[in-house]
Amino acid sequence: MTASILDGIVLGLQFGVLATGLTLVYGLGGVLNLAYGQMSVISAMVVVLATDAGVSLVPAIGLGLLAGALLGLLLDVTILRPVYRLQGEARVLLSLLLSLGVAFIVDGFLNWRLPLESLNIRVGGEAVTILGVRMRMGSLVASGITLLVLAVLFYLFRYTRLGRAIRSVIENEQGARLVGIDPHRMLRIILVLSGILAAIVAVTRSMVAPVSVRAGFSITVLALIATVVGGLGSISGAFLAGLILGIVNSIAASYIGTFLSLIILLVAAALTILIRPAGLLGVRE
Amino acid sequence: MLEVAGLSAGYQGSDVVHDVSFHVEEGETVMIIGSNGAGKTTLFRAITGLLAKSSGVVTFMGIDISALPAQHIVRTGLGFVPAERHLFPRMTVEENLALGAYPERPDPTTLRVVLDLFRRLEERRRQLAGTLSGGEQQMLAVGRALMGKPRLLVLDEPTTGLSPKLAQEAYRALDVLRGEGLTILVAEQQVPLALAISDRGYVLENGVTLLDGTSKELAADPRVRAAYLGVA
Repeated sequence: MTASILDGIVLGLQFGVLATGLTLVYGLGGVLNLAYGQMSVISAMVVVLATDAGVSLVPAIGLGLLAGALLGLLLDVTILRPVYRLQGEARVLLSLLLSLGVAFIVDGFLNWRLPLESLNIRVGGEAVTILGVRMRMGSLVASGITLLVLAVLFYLFRYTRLGRAIRSVIENEQGARLVGIDPHRMLRIILVLSGILAAIVAVTRSMVAPVSVRAGFSITVLALIATVVGGLGSISGAFLAGLILGIVNSIAASYIGTFLSLIILLVAAALTILIRPAGLLGVRE
Repeated sequence: MLEVAGLSAGYQGSDVVHDVSFHVEEGETVMIIGSNGAGKTTLFRAITGLLAKSSGVVTFMGIDISALPAQHIVRTGLGFVPAERHLFPRMTVEENLALGAYPERPDPTTLRVVLDLFRRLEERRRQLAGTLSGGEQQMLAVGRALMGKPRLLVLDEPTTGLSPKLAQEAYRALDVLRGEGLTILVAEQQVPLALAISDRGYVLENGVTLLDGTSKELAADPRVRAAYLGVA
């Protein structure tokens, strides 16, 4: 049991980072990015191709993060342009359809060109015993990086002017404009940030288990579940939900079976939404 | 300082205000009075860039701001306090005020001035804006606008949702600001309050300006007396 919980925390921290990226974009711009998992996979493949070409690991990871950032920017200046002209539900719906289209195209392309690739970063070192459970070094490094990312995000949103400006757009877009904040500029920054987060998760995930070229949709679905459970637009909610779902997933996988764990996650998500329609920490408008 | 010429604006292709022209000179306090639905809010939202104009030119400090979005207009020194306030409810009073100075770091002297003007905000600095009373939220909205060091402060019905006592308090604060030389443009339904602090005014009805004049002239005008001051 302890082993499952610890594994769940390792996984859940990553869900949390994933969901944060998705929820920020939604909260800020009413854009639901269903190509999110593919952004993660493309970044992973950039790392794979770079290391295959002889680039050493750390710079290759740097290239992967850069790819994530550029993908966020690319979405902003291409397919999201018609989305920005709409408001409210029409905006969410169009963003969802267009990004789903992008996801299919990316998936098709990757499966054609790199059908067998996967990113698998091996972290050396002895396993460490925590609470009587032997934890692999890869899991610990992955969790350490994830915690660091979360600390940076927390600092950014709580204490910096930029972070406050981003939150103000989520809270009241017109109010933000009235103090001189350009909502679209903030959304562009957040899309780039979400691309970087997607890339970071690809890297940390690959330290625990291989990230295959086909992982895109399952990453999107996991991020989406954590986002909805946490409350769309709530950063701390997304993180909390990610952590809980990671633990649920890992316990379900080891006691019931991996094949059922996604169904159990969905049931857990559905129950949360029934009890708290706005999500764990969401606030109803 | 502010020159509005032939402004028309509205929603979904049908104009609510038609060909409105007026001006505000440096150091003046000008009021736009009119009943509910006269078009005051539409007029102000169009001037401050929150709403697209269908025609007309708005010049502020010699710059044509007609086509600028709200986030650029505020940086030219035109601060707007909308009737809905548009605060950031899940942020503290302090964070709301700090955002008023965006993109600059909040200026401590300006912050001091705001907190001295609104003592209640000082007591509630660490409280979330969403938990404040209506009067305090109004103070915060004005305070946030002041943090941006505006040359002109535009207020849309600052007494919305306030008790008569709080409404008077709000106008006392505006009077202090006016005494310090701030130029103020205010839209108001509660005409006696606005009359007491304004130099001049315009009467807006059905989206057009019916009358204009000094506050004295308006207060003496039989139409204004009958419609807004409750004097037959």
